[in-house]
Amino acid sequence: MSEEINTSQLVSAATSEQMIEINKMNKWYGDFHVLKDINLTVHKGERFVICGPSGSGKSTLIRCINALEEHQEGDIIVDGIKLGKNLKNLDHIRTEVGMVFQNFNLFPHLTILENLTLGPIWVRKMAKADAVETAMMYLERVKISEQANKYPGQLSGGQQQRVAIARSLCMSPKIMLFDEPTSALDPEMIKEVLDVMVELADTGMTMIVVTHEMGFAKTIADEVIFMDAGDIVERNKPEAFFGNPEHERTQQFLNQIL
Amino acid sequence: MAIITKEKSPDRPAPLSETTPLGWLRINLFSSTFNTGLTLIMLFIVYLTISGVFAWGYLDATFVADKRRECYDNSLTGACWAGVIAWLDNIFYGRYPRDELWRVNLGGVLLVLWMAPLWMSRVKAKVLVGASVIIFYPFLAGYIFTGGDKSWFMQFMVSGAILAFIINMLNMLSGLIENTSFAKFLFKLSGQVEASDKTQRNLLYGVLFAAFIVIFAIQSSWTVTEVSWTKWGGLFLTLVISGIGIASSLPLGIVLALGRRSKLPVVRVLSTGFIEIFRSVPLITVLFMATTMFPLFMPEGFFLNKLVQGIISVVLFNACYMAEIVRAGLQAIPKGQFEGSHTIGLGYWGTMGLVIMPQALKHMIPNIVGNIIGLLKDTTLVSIIGLFDILGMLRSISKDIPWLGLHKEPLVFGAILFFIICFSMSKYSRHLESKLSAGNKR
Ligand SMILES: Nc1ncnc2c1ncn2[C@@H]1O[C@H](COP(=O)(O)OP(=O)(O)O)[C@@H](O)[C@H]1O
Ligand SMILES: [Mg+2]
Repeated sequence: MSEEINTSQLVSAATSEQMIEINKMNKWYGDFHVLKDINLTVHKGERFVICGPSGSGKSTLIRCINALEEHQEGDIIVDGIKLGKNLKNLDHIRTEVGMVFQNFNLFPHLTILENLTLGPIWVRKMAKADAVETAMMYLERVKISEQANKYPGQLSGGQQQRVAIARSLCMSPKIMLFDEPTSALDPEMIKEVLDVMVELADTGMTMIVVTHEMGFAKTIADEVIFMDAGDIVERNKPEAFFGNPEHERTQQFLNQIL
Repeated sequence: MAIITKEKSPDRPAPLSETTPLGWLRINLFSSTFNTGLTLIMLFIVYLTISGVFAWGYLDATFVADKRRECYDNSLTGACWAGVIAWLDNIFYGRYPRDELWRVNLGGVLLVLWMAPLWMSRVKAKVLVGASVIIFYPFLAGYIFTGGDKSWFMQFMVSGAILAFIINMLNMLSGLIENTSFAKFLFKLSGQVEASDKTQRNLLYGVLFAAFIVIFAIQSSWTVTEVSWTKWGGLFLTLVISGIGIASSLPLGIVLALGRRSKLPVVRVLSTGFIEIFRSVPLITVLFMATTMFPLFMPEGFFLNKLVQGIISVVLFNACYMAEIVRAGLQAIPKGQFEGSHTIGLGYWGTMGLVIMPQALKHMIPNIVGNIIGLLKDTTLVSIIGLFDILGMLRSISKDIPWLGLHKEPLVFGAILFFIICFSMSKYSRHLESKLSAGNKR
């Protein structure tokens, strides 16, 4: 495993292309200051894990990167494009950034295969046969191809989440965002989803993952970020982060979840 | 008694009340002396009502007579159906010329044939079939019903409609016989199954274009005599008004509902205002406004006939109700669906059309059908602005000299007609609901 991390670090060092750049970003919900002066740079192939107590603004942060939420101050630059009011840019960014949610958000009225081909056919304008081929390839990769013609409601939570990951991958995104992808799952299903994510990390995908699965974080993360009350309190390499956290708040938090 | 059962407990038969009607009767209707008494009294009341109606409507009724007098000579207490029977053509077609009735029937048959594939599971491309009905059928039917000279536009649309109808029928046949769409069948016939998408598309467009030219040439010499809208009436007119009302109030309602949820303030305020204004006045007022006030606002020389005014009123009025139904349906869709759709790059229209609406419409079916039934019944109000729809026709029987004063029978007949139509619609909606929910298990 350590070898893999090394090679991927080499890759990221060689092509230190900036995928995400966040400068002094602030966000409010009404009067409530959710995100405070956030600065973050993510290079191609880098993998960040974000953790922190509930309500600290983790979801809000990654939803801002995907333009699902608007920020009020500062800049977010994704794949060289600055997020703003321009709707065309938004659609472009959303096709380049995949996102996986806590509760899957699959489309219940479409079969698994249709869920996967919807974006490629309507957004990427792919021919249907090609879209189906790609979709089957990704279903194969998340080990669920035999369920292609079922409806989401007929699958288990773990299977649904793997479908959701495959659905995002079908759009061949440059960046993948994960918002607590395993926290709505029964314990025995968590592993199957994490395995898929580890495999994805091995392909060199740029990833930001909000999760409290510390084993997973140690395996894949280049850096772990700890958020509290809208601030990025601490960021560090996983070994250092879990071994001897600098801040007392981080220490407390880790004590609670470990 | 032992708490732990050592051996497997045997299955016992379910209680009688669960399995046999007799058991059900005993539990629900005859459980005590008092309940038995109540049941018997109720049965007696039901018997009295039904036997009374049966005697009036059938046993003592007169079916053959030339005027109301003869009915009375036959029986004083029975119904005089002869009057209704003599007026049947009027009730169904109004004053549409008797030699031209086939045109109304043809229009009806075309519609049924056109929509038939929607009910056949083997036929493909249902969305196209549905869209072609809404886009083309009104022009074809419109010409068949009105007749007269065709403008260039009408020639064009009528040809399109005929072409769409023929393709639809071929598609139905190839679906039923070969279990494929007509396009696939065509490729097979011409040996182009393996050809590239582009060749296939060109072939398809070529065939369509050639067929269109031929049909255009043939239909240009086809005319039917003109029938003024003032001659339309009866059930035919009711169905025309409510048909147009149904077909256009749902799309318009969707637009209004989306407008009301729009982020653009102008669009939102306009839609909301429009919906609230039309929903807060009774249809009757809208109809009166349309006929008396509307012409005042219109430029000099601009003139809409009463039928069009009536139709516009019914459409706008119902679109507002549809809009609220659609809005409620949209609100029931979780926010995650919008977000899931955005993250795969679908924009506003893609999200609405492919993800949100298909789910929302399914939830809305009962309300939509309820509204359609209401619309059908409400259209009878157009008799107020002097259109002779079915209610107008039923009521004019009593003013016809031979049947002077015959009120009850025509109205009962109308009630039965409406019941049949509305009840089958609501039955169909139930069927649709269960079919759709079987398809998309959650
Ligand atoms: N749409 C919203 N409107 C108002 N407040 C919100 C909204 N979404 C989240 N919040 C608040 O913002 C804070 C951060 O939320 P979130 O980013 O979801 O936290 P986390 O994902 O870290 O648990 C919470 O206090 C939450 O109550
Ligand atoms: Mg969260």
